[in-house]
Amino acid sequence: MAGAPARWDLETDVVSIGSGLGGLSAAIAAHDLGATCVVLEKAGKLGGLSGFGGGEVFVPANHKMKELGLADTLDEGRRYYEFIAAGYASAKHQKKLLDTMHEAIRYVGEKAGLRWKACQGLPDYYYPNAPGSKASGRYLSVELFDAKTLGEWQAKTWLTPIMPPGALHEEMYAWGGLAKVTTWDYELLGKRIAEDLRSFGPGMMAAFVKAAVIDRKIPAYLETPVRALVADANGAVIGVRAERSGKDFYVRARKGVILAVGGYDHNKSMARMFEEMPDWNAVFPAYLDGDHMVMGPELGAAIASVPPTNLALFYGYSIPGEEVEGRAFWRSSWEGGVPHAIWVNKAGERFCDESFYKEYQPKIRHWDGKKQEQPNTDIYLIFDGNYRERYPLGSFMPGQELPEGMAVVANTPRELAQRLEIDPDRFEGTLARFNANAEKGEDPDFGRGSMPWAIRLVGDMDYKNPLLGPLNKPPYHAVRLRPVSVGINSHGLAWNLDAQVMHVRGRPIEGLYTVGNSAALLDLGGGYQSGTSNSRAITWGYVAGRHAAARKS
Amino acid sequence: MPEAEYSTTARLPVQVIWDYVREMDNWAPFLRGYQSHEKQSDTESVWVLKGDVGMVTRTVKFRVHVDEWGEPERVRFTLKGVNEPMEGGGEFRLAPYEDASAAAAAPALAKLGLFARMLRWLYRLFAGRTERAEGANAGPGAGLSRLGFTLRIKPGGPMGPMVDALMKPLMLPVAEELADRIMAELEKRNAPPS
Repeated sequence: MAGAPARWDLETDVVSIGSGLGGLSAAIAAHDLGATCVVLEKAGKLGGLSGFGGGEVFVPANHKMKELGLADTLDEGRRYYEFIAAGYASAKHQKKLLDTMHEAIRYVGEKAGLRWKACQGLPDYYYPNAPGSKASGRYLSVELFDAKTLGEWQAKTWLTPIMPPGALHEEMYAWGGLAKVTTWDYELLGKRIAEDLRSFGPGMMAAFVKAAVIDRKIPAYLETPVRALVADANGAVIGVRAERSGKDFYVRARKGVILAVGGYDHNKSMARMFEEMPDWNAVFPAYLDGDHMVMGPELGAAIASVPPTNLALFYGYSIPGEEVEGRAFWRSSWEGGVPHAIWVNKAGERFCDESFYKEYQPKIRHWDGKKQEQPNTDIYLIFDGNYRERYPLGSFMPGQELPEGMAVVANTPRELAQRLEIDPDRFEGTLARFNANAEKGEDPDFGRGSMPWAIRLVGDMDYKNPLLGPLNKPPYHAVRLRPVSVGINSHGLAWNLDAQVMHVRGRPIEGLYTVGNSAALLDLGGGYQSGTSNSRAITWGYVAGRHAAARKS
Repeated sequence: MPEAEYSTTARLPVQVIWDYVREMDNWAPFLRGYQSHEKQSDTESVWVLKGDVGMVTRTVKFRVHVDEWGEPERVRFTLKGVNEPMEGGGEFRLAPYEDASAAAAAPALAKLGLFARMLRWLYRLFAGRTERAEGANAGPGAGLSRLGFTLRIKPGGPMGPMVDALMKPLMLPVAEELADRIMAELEKRNAPPS
């Protein structure tokens, strides 16, 4: 046996490693088929990455759309997923995902009390150009969740700094979107915060925690990182070696272990190796450090990948003095897509549609073969006085003084370029061309303003083109941007249609499952769409939990 | 405006506590999230603190003006955010503590059991106000003093109501921690040689 103890500290049927959507979905599904379950969580809070995010669950032709009379079909959904995959998905994985997704989503709705609602008015990323795309309703989110019902877990579940606490998607759009923050209803948000009514990822994961830990009484251990998987002589996984209070804590899993620890965002050597990123930073707390990519291969697990060029990678920045859990807090930056703002690289040139991250992601890694460099890994957000009067920067409201060291400020574009050590002539040329077109509401170079999803999120509807406005009013600002990850990586463990981890020899490893972002994106392929991470985590968690529960001990 | 009020007692003369509180260098590090402070005059100072606004810890610079040095009973101050739209104020209050009935109230409350403790919890929750009196130093008598600390902060700007709600749960712990740490330090300094 690989590290089997003389005595187990705890015995159960199914162990979920990680308390995000995948881990808890698996535990709930396994429990409901009669299995005993335990959740082991490395962090001091439950909910994982899912509790830190936007909480969108992308489900074409979902039951809530039908209730609202929004037309959609499974076939249209399939065609849209095929478009996203761009030929890089495993057809059988994608088929089972789409065949099982509705069952899993409805299950957690009906059996686990998830109160789903369809987000109206938020288009698919690629609407209207992609086949099968829709203008509204495919994103599910939860109704406001009263976190006071969590009892002792209320303070031990994740909140998020990246979404406005207590707001609902439709409200955010109705109030003007991310750019128009001065017109939001902060009185209402204040009341909801005071009552701890949660939305977005925190609301969704609070509901999952209640279903798993409170309603089903599934034991959850915080601050209990799993250090290794334990296997028998045949290589089947029979438990884990975790750590509690600095000591080994062996948990036997009679039926299965679910590896659901998220990605490797905080493991910079893995990021360099797998994502071709010389350096990057992560939006989420420091628990996503690639445990699955160590523990799985230790037992012969295969690693699989999808193209790294089109996943969830952003530009971001860290505001001096801002921290989450004692570490610098990196925000992903959407500000470049707002009127009166652009991005330039060190050549002083725009290189993408700043408002649509799926367009710019492949360009982050762009390799200049003549110069042997990646010119777009270290860029600047540029904005002017118009921007500062109208729009926020991170948590700093329009007009509010920015912290020292946050931005380089100058009275003219030329002076700004000189201070950034960018060719001033080229920078002025870039600005002049952008401004001339922006005045007309056009971006012939990169088509900014052509994607309805981006307009909904960050557009200013007071403008002819809601994403375009010239930079022509001093002072001019520059904020340095670096690549930031949001938990969705190009590499993960290989898995089969029962969510079992695959051995490098091409057979499943008995007793070992992987779901969520630990599982390679074989079912999505070469692209991404917000909410697909969550819907696949719930779906494959449901599949894994049921499969494990049905295994013989 | 979130407000927290807290008072505590110690077996020390008022003047001893006053002399200590009068010099902000003594107790500045006891303030939760303290990073630095700079005295610019007898009434003006600038403070840098790290504070939580929801999930995010922000570094905030405050300009503090002492409105009243009311030796030995009261220090009143106002504060204004330098890099954040916040304003507020507060006060330290010092008084001899000789009210036996009040001093006895806390132990009596404890004896009442769950109901009394629940009432007290509700009081804290809704009034943002509490008192430490059942500790080892509680009880009426000569040399006993009470230190009260009140802190008010009103976040401004459009997001004010939201920030207000995010900050509110943190105000009372800040007030409690500061007053208790001041008294604990003074008790340590003034403990009789063993």
